[in-house]
Amino acid sequence: MNRDALVWCLVVVAALGVAATVVLSRRAKAIAANKDRSEAALTQRLSEADGRLATLRAELHQHRTDHAKTIQEAEEAAEDSTKAVLKGSARFLQSLAAEQLALLEEIQRKYGGHSVLGDLLEVGHANAQMARKAQGIAVMCGAPLGRRSRAASVYDVVRSAQGQIRNFRRVEIMQQTGFALKASAVSPVALAVAELLDNAASFSQQGSPIEVTFQRVQKNLCIVIDDAGVGMNDEERQKATALLSGQYRPRLSQLGNQPKFGFPVIGLLSQQYGFRVDVTGVSRYGGVRAVVLLPEELWTEEETAPVNEAQPVVEQPGVPAARPEPVARTAGGLPRRGARQVPIASVPDQDTVGLPHVPAEEDAGRAAGRSLGAFQRGTLSGRNLSAAPSEGSDDT
Amino acid sequence: MSDEPEEELELTSSLVPFFVITNGRSLPPEHAYGHTTLVSASEHAATTVRTLTPEARQVLDLVMDGFLSVAEVAAHTRLPLGVVRILLAEMEDGGLIIARKPVPRAERVDREVLNAVLDGLRARFGA
Repeated sequence: MNRDALVWCLVVVAALGVAATVVLSRRAKAIAANKDRSEAALTQRLSEADGRLATLRAELHQHRTDHAKTIQEAEEAAEDSTKAVLKGSARFLQSLAAEQLALLEEIQRKYGGHSVLGDLLEVGHANAQMARKAQGIAVMCGAPLGRRSRAASVYDVVRSAQGQIRNFRRVEIMQQTGFALKASAVSPVALAVAELLDNAASFSQQGSPIEVTFQRVQKNLCIVIDDAGVGMNDEERQKATALLSGQYRPRLSQLGNQPKFGFPVIGLLSQQYGFRVDVTGVSRYGGVRAVVLLPEELWTEEETAPVNEAQPVVEQPGVPAARPEPVARTAGGLPRRGARQVPIASVPDQDTVGLPHVPAEEDAGRAAGRSLGAFQRGTLSGRNLSAAPSEGSDDT
Repeated sequence: MSDEPEEELELTSSLVPFFVITNGRSLPPEHAYGHTTLVSASEHAATTVRTLTPEARQVLDLVMDGFLSVAEVAAHTRLPLGVVRILLAEMEDGGLIIARKPVPRAERVDREVLNAVLDGLRARFGA
């Protein structure tokens, strides 16, 4: 009885176990199937989302490119219109400054004997600096540079550049050369050298020297500018080289509040006129050594006449063939005075000399010279210089 | 930007401005290097010629053989008188030239003062 009951119990338990197992396995299967389904659905949604993301990314990229392009176009347009506006003003300033320089020179000649000349010379200095700035802005805006019609010695070109910076007395030109720059190269080289000198002066101590020397290296003529400044680090050197070679052309808007035109201007000029500028050297004072390298197309070895002389220099007295009159002449074509021995012949009458093409302005100068010469002759004959001259003598 | 051909600006002023020729020095005092002051190269001037600026060399060339007046130097070099005076002052400082001032003009005595003195003397001593 008891055993039966036990058996039945076991059977029931077994049956229940089997039933439970069956139920559980069914449930597990259902769950697994469910999981598979939802997984598949999720994967699909994921890939859909991925697809959408990709398109969105592409769109975004497109928008970004468009945006950048638009900005660049706008910047270029702004740059162009800024340049156009500035160019007009710069050209105006440029021509006004040039006019003023010429005018001032005339005034300086006119009042040459007056004490006001000292002030006029200072005004001339201020004016020359302004003219340089105007030229620089003009170059940045793509306007042409003012040009010179005559070749000039490299020495004078550097002196012209020297006059365009503030502390021009610090510049020392250590030697003179017979090399002459062709007329077309005079203005651009003068401006480039002026910018280099200005740079040298700005980045070195007040009062320290800035030395200019000339060197001929193979077919090139070099203008070497040494300063005693702090020099440049590698990054600055790289940047300067990029600017000077014209590889990198900054926009006007990138020049900043206190625009540094110098290197960009030199870069533009050197590309345009075919010379090279290098500032990577170290000067013998530990500062920067700037070298302007002029290829042979830009210069000649001929001596040029000094700046204010239009006529060729004739130094020897009594050159027979070229000139009919036996009077020795100065570079300006004026009769040359042979000192005290021949005081009367020193300033001959205009009629007897017959100078070829004498400009009107020269007449005035010569007339002044002549009247002064007459005055001088009077003084000399009055003092009877053949006797030993003793000033303020009262032994007569 | 429009690319129409632009006429270039012609620069007519001297390449080397006067203040560079004078190297920014100021004018010598009023009474120094007047029109008629005579200048001549000093004896050892010829040795230093190479280091001079072209203008100073030109001046030295002019006065190498004897005395020449400041006004004539200015006329020959075609530089303003003041510029020449500055150059001459510098050259004299450097011992390149010697300058000889003109004989000073006799001082003008005021006729009225003389008359007053004469009157005074007459009043005192009778005449």
